[in-house]
Amino acid sequence: MKQDLKTFQGKGEAIVNYQINIVRAWIPVLLSCTLIAQPGFAEDKDHAEKPAVWVPNKLSDGQPDVQGFWRPANQGTYSLVNPRNGQDGKPDKDGKIPKRPVKPSRIIDPADGQVPYQPWARAKQQHVQANFNNPVSQEFIDPQARCFPGGVSRQQWWHNTEIRQYPNYVVIIGDADRRIIPLDGRPHIPGNIKLWMSDSRGHWEGNTLIVDVTNSNAKHRLSNEGDFSSDSVHIQERFTFLDANTYQYQATYEDPRVYTRPWTVSSKQVRANTDEPDFEAWEYACIEGEKNTDNYITEKIVSQ
Amino acid sequence: MRIINRNKDKQTFERSSYASAFKQLSGAAIFVASVTLVGCGAPHIKGQDNVATTTADILRTADGKPDLSGIWQTLSTADWDLEPHQARKDAPPGLGVVVGNVIPYQPWALEQKKKNFDNRAELDPRRKYVMPGIPRANYTPEPFQIFQSDKQLTFIYEFGQTVRTIHANDTKHPEGHIDWWIGDSRGHWEGDTLVVDVTHFNDQTWFDRSGNFHSDALHVVERYKPIGPDHIQYEAVIEDPKVFTKPWTISLTLYRHKEKDFQLLENYGFTFDYEKFYP
Repeated sequence: MKQDLKTFQGKGEAIVNYQINIVRAWIPVLLSCTLIAQPGFAEDKDHAEKPAVWVPNKLSDGQPDVQGFWRPANQGTYSLVNPRNGQDGKPDKDGKIPKRPVKPSRIIDPADGQVPYQPWARAKQQHVQANFNNPVSQEFIDPQARCFPGGVSRQQWWHNTEIRQYPNYVVIIGDADRRIIPLDGRPHIPGNIKLWMSDSRGHWEGNTLIVDVTNSNAKHRLSNEGDFSSDSVHIQERFTFLDANTYQYQATYEDPRVYTRPWTVSSKQVRANTDEPDFEAWEYACIEGEKNTDNYITEKIVSQ
Repeated sequence: MRIINRNKDKQTFERSSYASAFKQLSGAAIFVASVTLVGCGAPHIKGQDNVATTTADILRTADGKPDLSGIWQTLSTADWDLEPHQARKDAPPGLGVVVGNVIPYQPWALEQKKKNFDNRAELDPRRKYVMPGIPRANYTPEPFQIFQSDKQLTFIYEFGQTVRTIHANDTKHPEGHIDWWIGDSRGHWEGDTLVVDVTHFNDQTWFDRSGNFHSDALHVVERYKPIGPDHIQYEAVIEDPKVFTKPWTISLTLYRHKEKDFQLLENYGFTFDYEKFYP
């Protein structure tokens, strides 16, 4: 009925129980967080827009009531441009590598589906990507694999999220991160404060929650492929609720230090746990179960 | 779903159907409170001396329950040491928050506590920024925010990744035992007090930086009683038959943050040692 406890006991626990060489083999899988069982890729309508005819129930402060558990229709933080739920599988006995199904790029603007990096930034991203499977030093380990907060947009397609609404607030709870989004029009915090999950200010326009995001510490990555921004990034999010069970998430990244132009990611989100009306999200305890992510480093493993 | 009534506006309060019911209850509540005080045999209940039960000043939700929404923080030094203590190199002084001043350890556990104290700089789980457990999360010297609806309360703590749901929808604890860092919280209202039963703990957290500890048999009953618009009297009865000779109680006041535009920030302190790798 409720989520399997073992699933929630933190991937770190799982890691330390394996032999180190097995850990190594499983790193890409763990990084993409497939331990949380998810239904397979749902029908891909990531880029479809429906006319906003849905009339939601309203909460006492006038917000559309969109509370509950949501999941990305296409789950997986492995890649922005070739979204898939984890890396390709291990070779079978005939040496064939099972390929994960790849979905269209999450990037809807620009039209080529690529992050419009400046040349130096593209080189940096590719350097991290090239070392992802064989991390020889600390900086190649995705911070997400250490149970660090996933960042604002990555939270949307990492695991399920729960939206809770209270007067003047939207709260989004993920497994290893949470966002408190005030709706009262207050100014952002001072610019020198940088946060893993940034600073969010929201307001509703009809059925669309628009969130202005600043103060990112930019230490998280946007995918396992080394996608990144600087801590000057400014993100505009749009949560457009299309009906009682669907919303379209979009985030536009603007960061003149890293990109040549603004760009936009998009992800369809659908209701989760619909067959379990009394579903409760239980304690995840990610960092608490983590023993030592330094063991991800390949050289260290080889030397042991 | 919910509006905040500032019941300083007495007329609003008087008009509500809850008001009349409350008048009948308040006399009984005072009587019960007196009996409780006498029953404890404690001439001095910490933190409760200046509790003026000015219920008219309590913020209330549309259905008449106290509204605990807001950002709260202790001013006590409980996180350094629950028991009375003078200043020392690694702790500011404090009168303590333990009712009766002394935690009733079993002999073996008192020895363990002393060992913990001697090695506190290395052994306090807090230094790893893991979830601090209950009740410690509530007196960690950083703010936490309560969001309240009629079915559940969400507690988000600035410290670590601690997010806590207090289910207040008549559901029961899941079957267990389950090893959780902040346990499983089920709450209900008794008059103006939110009573929360918390169980399913692991044995990995301490109550403070002085090595006060518990086992996985820990059971906590919390009581959140607003004593004005900006103060909650917080009490937790702590029971653990593997470690203590009898249940014991802490009592402290939670203060509302009143600063304009105050908000929680982050303290994901477990990232500090690695941030240099992600410039």
